[in-house]
Amino acid sequence: MAESLEQAAQQSFPRTAACLPEIFDFMDRFFAHAGVGDEHRMPMQFVVEEWFTNLVKYSRGGTRDILLDLKRQDGRLVLSLTDFGVERFDIREVRDVDVNLDLKHRTPGGLGIHLLKRMVDDIGYEYVDGRSTTTFVKKLE
Amino acid sequence: MLDIRVGEKGEIVLSGRFDASQAVKAETFMAALTESRNVDVSDLQYVSSAGLGVLLATQKRLMATGHALKLVNVRGHVREVLHYSGFDQIFEIEAAPPAS
Repeated sequence: MAESLEQAAQQSFPRTAACLPEIFDFMDRFFAHAGVGDEHRMPMQFVVEEWFTNLVKYSRGGTRDILLDLKRQDGRLVLSLTDFGVERFDIREVRDVDVNLDLKHRTPGGLGIHLLKRMVDDIGYEYVDGRSTTTFVKKLE
Repeated sequence: MLDIRVGEKGEIVLSGRFDASQAVKAETFMAALTESRNVDVSDLQYVSSAGLGVLLATQKRLMATGHALKLVNVRGHVREVLHYSGFDQIFEIEAAPPAS
């Protein structure tokens, strides 16, 4: 019946890509504790890296640390990233890149969001008083 | 952490994790390449869009002079990311042999 119990962890991280190893270590410890299978480890770290680095690069007004919240609940993995004191930035409104372009017309921009959308089952967004939270859901079974 | 080195046959060997915190290191290494090379990713566990960006920029630069990178021993998460990125259309990609 452990599956019905919520397992959760949260930690704040400075707005720099240099802290990615620390983020991955935090996620690894949570996945081990919550019994999340290895097959989900790399894809979910990919999702968090892509959105975290987007927030670092593009969130307007952000100066505070970014909060990463991890939950295992009802057979789902729920990952949230919250940015404080920023403008609205809804990932669901970001247009997909065309991955069928030839080399001449390809640029790396936007590729990360295109890919992360394919690694999760659902994406939610909430914006209240400068608090911007993006939630990614992955079914574990 | 990403390890990047030249192998015994002149191939580029990438191992570990190719994430945004390692992109500058990889860019510096790749900037010195001027000819076609195989890139062995058999021990590369993870790649993000930051890593893909370095590979794409290098491929563009090399192809402008008639050269190219070929990605070999591709497997697992890296194979999935390359496929969904459409990189199998702009790189020659050789899958890793099945595990025995």
